[in-house]
Amino acid sequence: MDGILQQFARVAADPLTYARDWKARTGRRVIGLFPMHFPGELAHAAGALPVILQQDDVPITVGQSQVFSFYCGYNRSIIDQALRGEFAVLDAILFGDHCVQLLGTADVIRAEVPGLPILFNQLCSVLDADWAMTQTQGTFTQLWRELEALTGAPLPPDAVRDSIRAFNRNRALIRQLYDLRRAGKVVLTGRQMQMVVKSSMVMDKAEHTTLLEQLLATIDQSGVRGNPVRVFLSGHLCHAPRPEVLDLVEDCGGLVVDDDLYHGFRFIHADVAETGDPVEALSHWYIDRNHKVPCPTRAIKGMDWEDYLLKAVDRSGAQGLVVLMAKFCEPHMYFYPEIKEAFDRHGIPHLLIETEHEEMPLEALKTRVETFIEIARRKAAA
Amino acid sequence: MQTVMERSAASPVFGNGERANRLKSTRFGGKLVNDYWENLFAAKEQGKKVVWYNGTYIPPFFHSHDVAWVHGEAWSAMLSAKHREVTAQERGEQKGYDRELCSYARTHIGQMLIELDKVKAGTSDLHPDDPRIETMLKLPPPDMIINAYPYCSSGQQWDDITYRVFGKKVPMFTIQIPLLWGGRQDAGYMQGEEWLERSRYVADQLVAMTRFMEEHTGRKYDFDRLSETMGFVKKAAELRLEAMDLCTATPSPASFFDWIVSIAPVNFLPGDQNIVTYFEGVLAEVKERIANGEGAVKDEKYRLFFDGMMNWNKVGWLADKFAAVNACVVAGRYTHMSFWQEPQLIDLKDPVLGMAQNYLICPNNHGAPIMIGEIEKICDKFGIHGMVMHAARTCRGMTNSQFLIANSAKKHGRQSLFFEGDVADESFYKDELLNVRLEAMIEALDAQKRAA
Ligand code: SF4
Ligand code: SF4
Repeated sequence: MDGILQQFARVAADPLTYARDWKARTGRRVIGLFPMHFPGELAHAAGALPVILQQDDVPITVGQSQVFSFYCGYNRSIIDQALRGEFAVLDAILFGDHCVQLLGTADVIRAEVPGLPILFNQLCSVLDADWAMTQTQGTFTQLWRELEALTGAPLPPDAVRDSIRAFNRNRALIRQLYDLRRAGKVVLTGRQMQMVVKSSMVMDKAEHTTLLEQLLATIDQSGVRGNPVRVFLSGHLCHAPRPEVLDLVEDCGGLVVDDDLYHGFRFIHADVAETGDPVEALSHWYIDRNHKVPCPTRAIKGMDWEDYLLKAVDRSGAQGLVVLMAKFCEPHMYFYPEIKEAFDRHGIPHLLIETEHEEMPLEALKTRVETFIEIARRKAAA
Repeated sequence: MQTVMERSAASPVFGNGERANRLKSTRFGGKLVNDYWENLFAAKEQGKKVVWYNGTYIPPFFHSHDVAWVHGEAWSAMLSAKHREVTAQERGEQKGYDRELCSYARTHIGQMLIELDKVKAGTSDLHPDDPRIETMLKLPPPDMIINAYPYCSSGQQWDDITYRVFGKKVPMFTIQIPLLWGGRQDAGYMQGEEWLERSRYVADQLVAMTRFMEEHTGRKYDFDRLSETMGFVKKAAELRLEAMDLCTATPSPASFFDWIVSIAPVNFLPGDQNIVTYFEGVLAEVKERIANGEGAVKDEKYRLFFDGMMNWNKVGWLADKFAAVNACVVAGRYTHMSFWQEPQLIDLKDPVLGMAQNYLICPNNHGAPIMIGEIEKICDKFGIHGMVMHAARTCRGMTNSQFLIANSAKKHGRQSLFFEGDVADESFYKDELLNVRLEAMIEALDAQKRAA
């Protein structure tokens, strides 16, 4: 089990090295994807390795010439990586979000890495609009065509269905891990789960799936020892929170039992239909996503993030909620007060941790996490 | 969007102490804006439904359907210009809105919360010092919420919150105005497959919006009225552009700051004869100034371009600051690349498509290459020497691509300076920094002139 997790951790720590090696090994294309809503299945079906572009740990240097300090760490890091030439391995970028900061980043990449095609197809941002379905189908059809033009080969629907199946299988296995963790049968720390999910955003699907199958077959299912405080992690859109921050939960006597992080359950929560028209299936996957795990970048009228979180926390038996918020992330800043009020109302302990790309004062943070765990423990005992 | 440029006693102690020579004709706008707010406060008494909206200039749709409208940004800008934003922002902060969030949104949401607090408490807390402003703060609550924000996701999310603040009971309609990325072979300013597709997409949503209004007012939408309204808007837009174009003259008869205070008539004021009269007045004054050789700035030596969202707390202050170094800010992205800047696209017989297209070409809403190409054209046309880049801290909608814009300016032999500020949060504004950078730019421009 440890060996597999280490393998995941290695890829998660350096995704572009994995991509370069994969490319050298296979001679095939590597296609970068921006988070959080663009499906990788089409690029996979076109024979490429879809890699969700990740923030790295390197301090922002050259990137400062193209992005202001008041942008989220993800955007600043991506721009810095682009200017450092890290994206030379990519054959294209697929992109379709509407986060205003990401739109700026895409333009900087276009200017600074001129040879790199960006297949930009903006997704419908109003998921509950009457026209959302037709619009989304149009977007994916256009992307399909553009991928065919990029590769110079037709993209048969059966190939897309195969990719959908491969992705579903991968997601389902990760969800099994989540189920086992929620049920208290396996212990996977916040860090470990992040490695599992983050590596799946990068690795060859088949390879990752094989490793997941081995992991599930060998994972220790003897359950939780002691009496740690059960913690639910929420938020952190687009990029992975630093593992050191996640470690604080366990270091302070907590145990992560569930999450809605993008580098977590949000990424794998929904599957795509394996039969029928793949464009329609992918469109449903996109349009329906907010009914399952609501995202503040795609708010809809009938569903609230805080309501989902109250239920999810209850379902996981968590005794407290830690909200991880990437500094300068606007959608999260808009919706956080709603979450705070709801959890206050329900008397559920919660803690907000704002994360930064730069070094974080872990000692001071540790004191806050300790206090939070203590409060949650007392509350649970009361 | 601001309405009246406050002529406060405060003026920067800087440069030669000269102040901006503002257009007098724009004062009429102050009256129009006051009338607009006053009508709005009477809307409910008149039995009108009220729509709150954010984003692009869709009020002709409301005006033509006899519903009253509240433009969230105009409200935030008005509060800021009257230095009323702080309490609103504090209330937002109390609820948990981070100060790094769009300050337009924070001001708007904060004031909304204050009003709801009052309703809950049953108090009306009159301000004895300025009853007019207090009246202005009392906005009629929405019967409908409409969002039509080009480019900026923050703009859309802002109304997702408005909807929640009002308990998710007010019907909301959201229009997507997608980015014109300009990545396809045939892409160009107002051309190519993407442009046509997106134009149709937005137009269809606008028609759907009229159906939404029909549903919530119980009245049929009258497209003939829309054509009539757009007749005034189109005329006003043409006059505005004609007057702006005359600023190629040296000295420039008007400045960016005059155009800033002239936004309201082409942004959210009712589309009627008044807005035409407003721009007729402006055009006449501009012509008169040209005939007299009178400039917006005394002894104009430098001509600048303003990039970025306006700093609504500082309109008058900045106008004077540039005047004090004989620099005329002649044009800007916000003023010159938006607000019905392509009126010829509007076919008065069937205006919706042309309206959609004008919304789509909001200055942020083009991918950088096309947007920057348009900026360079404006700079060439107006003989711009340097760029003033307002890095508005909480407005990523307009700080995106600013480094690319500055780099392009450099390639075209233009200087640029960055200064920090914000749309509606004064605490981010650094006056000293701007002074130092402006002085340095002026020196560099002088050196450039000497070398030439
Ligand atoms: S983390 Fe937030 S601000 Fe950053 S790219 Fe994602 S949604 Fe946008
Ligand atoms: S960030 Fe700027 S463009 Fe976006 S909603 Fe706020 S003021 Fe508008």
